[in-house]
Amino acid sequence: MTEAIRHIDWIVALAALGVLAAGPSLFGTSYVIGVLTVALCFGMWAASWDFMSGLTGRENFGHSLFIGAGAYTAGFLNVKFGLSPYWSLIAGPLVAVLFGIAMGFPTLRLKGPYFALAMLSAAAVMQSLTIIFSEYTGGQDGLNGLDPMLDSTLAYYYLTLFFLALTAVILKLLANSSWGTLLRAVRGDEASCEAAGINVTFYKIVSLMISAAFAGLGGVLYAHYQLQVGPDLFAVVLSINIIIMVYVGGMGSIYGPIGGAILLNVLTEAFRGFSEYRLWVYTLVLMFIVYFMPQGLIAPLWRKIRAIVP
Amino acid sequence: MIQILIYGAVISAIYAMLAVGFTLIFGVARILNLAHGSFYALGAYAVYALTAEAKLPLWLAAILAVLLVALFGILIERVLVRPLRRRSMLAVLLITLAVALMVEQVLLLIFGSEARNVPSFVSTAYHFLGVDVSGQRLLALAAGILVLGGLWVFMQHTKLGAAILAISQDAEAAQYVGIPADRMYSIVMGLSAGIAAAAGVLVAPFQTVIPGMGLLPLVKAFAIVVVGGLGSIPGSILGALLLGYTETFIAFKISIEWSQIVSVAAVLIALILRPTGFFGKRVAF
Repeated sequence: MTEAIRHIDWIVALAALGVLAAGPSLFGTSYVIGVLTVALCFGMWAASWDFMSGLTGRENFGHSLFIGAGAYTAGFLNVKFGLSPYWSLIAGPLVAVLFGIAMGFPTLRLKGPYFALAMLSAAAVMQSLTIIFSEYTGGQDGLNGLDPMLDSTLAYYYLTLFFLALTAVILKLLANSSWGTLLRAVRGDEASCEAAGINVTFYKIVSLMISAAFAGLGGVLYAHYQLQVGPDLFAVVLSINIIIMVYVGGMGSIYGPIGGAILLNVLTEAFRGFSEYRLWVYTLVLMFIVYFMPQGLIAPLWRKIRAIVP
Repeated sequence: MIQILIYGAVISAIYAMLAVGFTLIFGVARILNLAHGSFYALGAYAVYALTAEAKLPLWLAAILAVLLVALFGILIERVLVRPLRRRSMLAVLLITLAVALMVEQVLLLIFGSEARNVPSFVSTAYHFLGVDVSGQRLLALAAGILVLGGLWVFMQHTKLGAAILAISQDAEAAQYVGIPADRMYSIVMGLSAGIAAAAGVLVAPFQTVIPGMGLLPLVKAFAIVVVGGLGSIPGSILGALLLGYTETFIAFKISIEWSQIVSVAAVLIALILRPTGFFGKRVAF
């Protein structure tokens, strides 16, 4: 199941990084840079979702909980307390991890769809709370006027790209380590793992914490790109979009979901020409992939190609 | 106080109709159906289209709407869900999600985003123990109780109901004694779609009929079913009563905003304290 990383993987990964780095200078408008920056944030969210849920098979339907936690931390620290945005790069993931611990302990010992449902409702509760406590959170308008982390949007794009690459390498290496093998074993047969003396719950909670940390980091980067955070960052729709991206990319492969996230973000922008039919096209693509490509699109495609390459 | 009692009962009846279908299809076929809210929206729109566009009498339109949506549910199960069910739960979730998005888009394209009005079945308002209640709400309450009672009789006293119960208890064993599981799944999907559509038809006169109206009921059904226990019909009726009354109470006494958070908070608390709900079976998972 686990494929060892070969030279060809590093080469292609570097090439992909090169294409992403060259993207802005090829289509140099600030609009394109914006679209790509958002796509990179989605890449981090999809990869972090995949690390926990793709490997262990415990689908997380409230990943936006961690994204919103990271983003709102950035918003509070910067707007309310006037701290430098760089502090959020540490504080955002930390707060997200705290949320991960709070959710993981009561729910990850359960089997079945309960973890998914609990995460979904936790994100929805947080979204409602941001609206109810609007005197602190700005309600529907959210917190506005965050300071940009860097002066130019292009430089910020490269910073985001750096963090995405870092996320991808760390998560992929972890997934390919013995730790990742263990998580896959949990997906295969939890009872046997427990019988073999493995503390399954511990492994699930720690991987949820790792997943939360990177999702929170993506949330911080997204907040300092938009310079605004709002309740929509906790929305169920955001979590579901991320799951669709992971599914399209190929679950459990880490790199696939990143590709899926970038592909779907760019596609949605390209579909803007269809105006009102845009969601139609999106839905049809989703139906087609779910129905005919059970393993997703990007990861299986790459597996086929690298099987040919010596 | 009487007002809370009556309004709470009406809301609970509607919630129960939604939750029962949702829990039924999960309990029998293990399908978490994200398109369940679309059946509700389709029911409301079908009765609108059949009365306003096709000029049918209201009672006929209502019956036709329920039947059409039930057929649509069977079609979805047969064509989209069945091939994916053995593959993974996530694939089924995503395909029903795609159906939900598609239905909303189709409704938006045909009817536009403005709210539609459906005439009331009964136009008189009743003065009841010192409060005014519209006849339509009372009809919704009565119809809801009737549907739930009918469902109970169907499940407990017919051969088909017994077969469905058998499948939900042990699908494999049921197949060994000759119950066709796949056909039962289709029937249950049609049944659950029809009940959701009936709820949509009943609330259409006093709810805003818009393409996105299915989302909130889906969340509510979700919450009720988790509180009551996934797959348990009595549990979901109890959950509907609990949620319907709590929401109405909070909406009257505190604020509408807080009433919206109740359902999700209830799910969270229920999952942490008693993950199988009131009546869920621990062995089922």
